[in-house]
Amino acid sequence: MNVLKKLVNVLDKVQKPSRYIGGEYNSVRKKDSKINLCLVFPDLYDVGMSHFGMSILYDVVNSSSFASCERAYLPWLDMQEEMKKEGIPLYSLESYRPLDKFDVIGFTLQYEMSYPNVLRALKLANIPIHRNERDDTYPIVIAGGPCTVNPAPMEEFIDAFFVGDGEEGIIEMLKIINEGGNKRHKLEKLSTIQGVYVPGISEKASKRFVSRMPNAPTAQIVPYTNTIHDRGVVEILRGCTHGCRFCQAGMIYRPVRERSYQEIVDLSRKIVKFTGYEEISLLSLSSADHSQIKELMSHLKEIKNVSFSIPSTRVDALSVELANAVSGVRKSGITLAPEAGSQRLMDVINKGITEEQIFEALKHAKNSGWSRIKLYFMLGLPTESDEDVMAIGEMLQKVKKMGFKNVSATLGVFVPKPHTPFQFASQIEPEEAYRRYKLISWAHKYAKINFTDPRKALIEGVLSRGDSSIGKVIEKAEKKNLVFPDWNETFNPDEWMKIFEEENVNLKRISASKDVKDVFPWDKIDVGVLKGYLWLEYQKALKGTLTQDCRNGCTGCGVCQRFGVKNVLAGRKAPDPLKVSVEKVSGEGI
Amino acid sequence: MNQIKYLFHYKKYGMLRYLSHLETMKMIDRALRRTGIELKQTEGFHQRTKISFAQALPTGIIDLAGLFVVTTFEEIDVSRLKEANKLCPRGCEFVKAEKVDEKFKLSRFVDGYEFKLIFLKEPEDASFDIEKKGEIWIARIFRSFNSSIPKNGEYGQFLTIRSQAITGGAN
Ligand code: SF4
Repeated sequence: MNVLKKLVNVLDKVQKPSRYIGGEYNSVRKKDSKINLCLVFPDLYDVGMSHFGMSILYDVVNSSSFASCERAYLPWLDMQEEMKKEGIPLYSLESYRPLDKFDVIGFTLQYEMSYPNVLRALKLANIPIHRNERDDTYPIVIAGGPCTVNPAPMEEFIDAFFVGDGEEGIIEMLKIINEGGNKRHKLEKLSTIQGVYVPGISEKASKRFVSRMPNAPTAQIVPYTNTIHDRGVVEILRGCTHGCRFCQAGMIYRPVRERSYQEIVDLSRKIVKFTGYEEISLLSLSSADHSQIKELMSHLKEIKNVSFSIPSTRVDALSVELANAVSGVRKSGITLAPEAGSQRLMDVINKGITEEQIFEALKHAKNSGWSRIKLYFMLGLPTESDEDVMAIGEMLQKVKKMGFKNVSATLGVFVPKPHTPFQFASQIEPEEAYRRYKLISWAHKYAKINFTDPRKALIEGVLSRGDSSIGKVIEKAEKKNLVFPDWNETFNPDEWMKIFEEENVNLKRISASKDVKDVFPWDKIDVGVLKGYLWLEYQKALKGTLTQDCRNGCTGCGVCQRFGVKNVLAGRKAPDPLKVSVEKVSGEGI
Repeated sequence: MNQIKYLFHYKKYGMLRYLSHLETMKMIDRALRRTGIELKQTEGFHQRTKISFAQALPTGIIDLAGLFVVTTFEEIDVSRLKEANKLCPRGCEFVKAEKVDEKFKLSRFVDGYEFKLIFLKEPEDASFDIEKKGEIWIARIFRSFNSSIPKNGEYGQFLTIRSQAITGGAN
């Protein structure tokens, strides 16, 4: 199959053909490897190239002596059509090889809404979507990324899930697959690796941890296409310990591991040199937390001809200060996420900030010259009352009155996520979401309010907290062409609701609140934080009691004690994890 | 520091013909940045090299006659250019860089372009200047600067190549 030859016939007919041409600067075409992996981001190139996780693994595997790694993304609908017409299978962007010619296909599952896209990618590659239909002649299909903390909805399709930091695990997996044997034999061996969950073989699996920040890629692939984040990336810290109770990343990426500022500066210089990027993003869940952030900012100034960006949305003075530092004189828009409107509800979610501090930060932003401000809120957080909703409107009114020219707010419906304290909470139904939204319609005169379709949250909730029966829904969604559900132009909620009905999905049950004694589909994955701890946190939430950031003192979530890791701060020593017995931290005898 | 204005001649072929004009500009900017040659930047917050390109090409056309002008703070000799070419993705090549006058303007320098249209069967439009070469037919057409460019497939051609810049040397 000569894909390249056939491509010439289609690339003139599609939008933005540069997404499909491959051969980007710094992409690696490694020949004669013993084992070949193709990583697939199940979304459009423009999105996939903006996620950093895949470029870490790309670098790790291509630096190994025995394995190669290539990439593929899901082509947009116009390209899918043309490929079908010409008989072009999904191919890799390095060697233009059809995906079924690889030994291993690795999907990255970054968000649940990409699940139908995974199936579409397999179909475009002429690979059967069900794992039990794939014999030894097909590639082994693995998946990683945050969604693997609940593998149930995708477990009919994926041979092996990898949960956690993948830098070491991916090499171990490839080694085992390279050793040969039949598929069953390989999968059995894979299931012995920490971090790997093999449906049908593993009963349980624990997350994989790297104890320090690993090496980072510097010769990063430079896309031709204007991708969403078209810039170099330095991951400055991993994990976040603020302990916001809705936040999955904050729970599943514990503990915090920081990179020293010297290393960050050094990486930045190398990235500029190897890529020619004019902008570098300092990646983390919460950049302002870095214990050497001041030193870092002052040293980054020495690197010429490049600007830095910091994706931080916490609402405190330091975050505003950082936004000031990287924006120079041109202060266009600042994005902050209070998440809730009232102090009471902020305490419920353990935001760890007071309204007073928020307004101080806002005042600081105003005085520093920001005129456009974007605020993020969630609707339907546990215990939310109508007053709490009204408080969002009141906050917007106050912000507008502070003199910001342009205030906008994005309102999303809260989706409870597995392995968070709010995994026990209920999710509000779309009708109720609309009712609450209407409570603040008066605030439209102070801010442009974007309300995300609550049915999107409903679908996301089903895909996140669903069990293995949800696989049928995903399959049907792909069949009905409901791919790219995260894109406004292709999102078709009515069709999704129909599928839920046809497949008898018990929406009420999935969305309902849960008890600590309930068995969850994701209980078989141990991400480190104990279920009992999450339950205690949930109880504290209901009372509005705060839990401190564990960089100031361990709160006993169980990760460090059970997996021999700890918070690694670059600028100071973090307090030691509490010595608590597992029974004690687990509460309620879990 | 002394500023020197350079006129770059470049080619863009292979898969890179599928880059849009904006993507081409970005690709070239980043290739130049990788050389470490000190280049004059645009004003404003976002870092961008000050590059002026000659006439933009629609996506899909092979370019053997690309031109742009940059200002540097150092000499670019043949060996420097060679190094720069090593830092380009496959399908992009800097052919030469020549020093030009401070007042040099591409719009005055370029009169127009010659395009070659490649046909896989004999074209119907008889007004072309056509040459048959083995299995293909090659038509040559001239378009003056900033006039419309033959789009891919417009005349039923299989490929479009911008083959040459016709320069009057008004500078
Ligand atoms: S065990 Fe303690 S120190 Fe470690 S992540 Fe959990 S709360 Fe933080």
